[in-house]
Amino acid sequence: MTDEFIRLAGVSKRYESKKGSVDAVAPVDLCINRGEFISLLGPSGCGKSTMLMMIAGLLDCTEGSIHIDGERVVKPQTNIGIVFQNLVLVDWRDILGNVMLQVEMRKLNVKDFEARARELLASVGLDGFLRHHPYELSGGMQQRTAFCRALVHDPPLVLMDEPLGALDAMTREQLRKDLEKLWMDTGKTFVFVTHDISEAVQLSDRVIIISPRPGKIDAEIIVDLPRPRDFDVMQSDEFHRYVKDISSIFMGYGVI
Amino acid sequence: MGNVDVKKKWLRGNRITVFYLTLFFILWEGGIRLFEVPMYLLPAPSGIAVKFVQNFPLILKYTWVTGLESFGGFLVSAAWGIPLSLIIAFSIFLRKTLYPFTVALQLVPKIALAPLFVTWFGFGLMPKFIIVFLLCFFPILLNAILGFTSLKKEHNDFALSTGADPLTVFRKVRLPAALPQIFVGLKWAAVNATVGATIGEWIGGDAGLGYYIQMASGDMKMDVAFAIIVMLAFLGLFLYYLVVVFEKMLVPWHVSQRSSVNGMMTMK
Amino acid sequence: MASGAVANHLMKKHGIAAKVGIWIGEAYLPLLTGVFFFVLWEALIRLLNVPRYILPAPSAVFLEFAQHSRLIWYHTLVTANETFVGYAIAVVLGIPISIFVAFSETLQRTFYAAAVTLGMVPTIAFAPLFVVWFGFSFASKMLVVFWVCFFPILINGIFGFLSLSDELRHFSLSTGADRVTTFWKIRLPAALPQVFVGLKGAAINATVGATIAEWIGGNAGLGYYIQVATGDFNMRLALAAIIMLTALGLLLYFLVILAEMKLMPWHESQRERG
Repeated sequence: MTDEFIRLAGVSKRYESKKGSVDAVAPVDLCINRGEFISLLGPSGCGKSTMLMMIAGLLDCTEGSIHIDGERVVKPQTNIGIVFQNLVLVDWRDILGNVMLQVEMRKLNVKDFEARARELLASVGLDGFLRHHPYELSGGMQQRTAFCRALVHDPPLVLMDEPLGALDAMTREQLRKDLEKLWMDTGKTFVFVTHDISEAVQLSDRVIIISPRPGKIDAEIIVDLPRPRDFDVMQSDEFHRYVKDISSIFMGYGVI
Repeated sequence: MGNVDVKKKWLRGNRITVFYLTLFFILWEGGIRLFEVPMYLLPAPSGIAVKFVQNFPLILKYTWVTGLESFGGFLVSAAWGIPLSLIIAFSIFLRKTLYPFTVALQLVPKIALAPLFVTWFGFGLMPKFIIVFLLCFFPILLNAILGFTSLKKEHNDFALSTGADPLTVFRKVRLPAALPQIFVGLKWAAVNATVGATIGEWIGGDAGLGYYIQMASGDMKMDVAFAIIVMLAFLGLFLYYLVVVFEKMLVPWHVSQRSSVNGMMTMK
Repeated sequence: MASGAVANHLMKKHGIAAKVGIWIGEAYLPLLTGVFFFVLWEALIRLLNVPRYILPAPSAVFLEFAQHSRLIWYHTLVTANETFVGYAIAVVLGIPISIFVAFSETLQRTFYAAAVTLGMVPTIAFAPLFVVWFGFSFASKMLVVFWVCFFPILINGIFGFLSLSDELRHFSLSTGADRVTTFWKIRLPAALPQVFVGLKGAAINATVGATIAEWIGGNAGLGYYIQVATGDFNMRLALAAIIMLTALGLLLYFLVILAEMKLMPWHESQRERG
């Protein structure tokens, strides 16, 4: 039934320095299915970003292996879209240009993909701002552009490293809705790193709980709530129970 | 020489760079020997080193002269520049009248007046002092004014809320906040003071490293000239590091931060 | 500032006229000071009978300028030639070399290290050597300007091309684009601000480099002219020449700023917003 897409087997990351070695990520195993929205949830410094970077091929694993669609990850993956927390867009292009940068860098046909870029930007409400430069727009609008850039070339996998972390609470809520909609429209596999418990519950099919120092996957919580997860769902008892359960796990680690 | 600090940090952090630097010198030496480049065109590092040692007593003597000129001029610039900056920064009237004026004056290459001072004061130390002063005064002044006038609003509001008198606010908030920028100006001036002294010696001097460079190159002794230039660089760096040490004492919290590359653009 | 709010309000109500009026209003104090200063200068010279060779009156400088304008223009052109040609060569050599260096890691290490070390030596210190090597000709002055301008342009260029944020680097890697594409579409535009820091810094020092070279070994140009004038205690002429020198330096600087506005239109407007 489930279509395995990404597999982490015994993956760990150790940093060597003059003062000794630091285990950022202890050996972890993880399966991510195609089309899933999965969150890596944990406190700051627990290694979740490191795991994401290893999946992206931007960081080597010290031990273990990662396979995406049966192929081993040994170098930076290119069949992905990637979104960061800060400094995502370039300031010398307008937002349409920023989304098209993805297309141009890959030497894809600009004409073919421009329609797709406009479509994506319109779906997040940015169709009136195509010629605006990033610094003219709010943080929320910039991140929406970043999502579009990560999707325009139709990658099967989108990796996001705390993309909403730099935004204020209200903008974050709006963007979560946009993100869920994008995911539902495109059916891609989303791997989402966050430290916000209710955000993880709201967005994900599965929440991967990561305990800190060194990063270990301690639990996987399947979130069985109806989609779209609108205001009513978020007020429901089930939602609160998920948040409560996950919170107690983290309280057990002493991070809350 | 605006980004001295940035460049230094990059160099210090890279021991492999030292290796490549050595490689560069080896290539230089090898190239000269291989192509038999005459000394008066481009001297080899070995030749430069030899001449440096051979002429060391004279180099040292002239270093003292140039150092005196540079350091003296620098001190006078600072002694005048910083108090004046205080006055300008804290008088709204002066800030609106004098300040734009000093900025405009900064555009004028005051060093162009150097021959004038040689004509007036002859070949002694005085004209060099003045030339160094001309070069260093405005950058120190302008950076100090910038430092004193860029107190963050939040810090100012906090100070006001404590009800402290202006002198206390100055001592405990304004002055420490301004110090990093003041030192930006001082460090720039320290590096360029030696340049000013050198130029002064070229226009009219009979001693000093600048004078010596001119004499040596006039005699086609390029290896000696290079050696002197190396010493000049050391002198400039020495003065710079004196200021850095001073900065470390007065601004211990800031030195670890990279100083801004865009700090304050200054002109000769 | 309250006047700012009033200004905005006025601007909305009365448009352009108000805008100009407010601009003059903002500038009136320093402008007035400038005028006042010149008047005071003139008055003091006359009142105190300050001798010509100490400090001339503005009117005297102006007169001298008018009398010797042909000669002054000639020397200005000489220095302008040395400055602009030397600067241009520094740009034409410096920027491609820094791009070249940005492509090779080994070159980066050797070249950058060497350039930074050489840059610590005050480049103007080589001026006497250039004069000996190339004589009293135009070439020696022009090459001094080149030498003085080359290093800031090169070092800032390399620094600009080397500094790519982690996020942009990761993004580039994720697209699978080759080095050339990454360079043209990301590294180059991202480096432009830093490149211009170098270009502007060099522009500021270019005219002074020419002047100093003329002092060491020249027989024409504003620097030479100033030396001759001050030797004769002709302060009026010297000041007139200094004014031309200032104008020349400003011209080069503003040309660079113009280029900056054309090449980085996004950056400029950003600065206005600041």
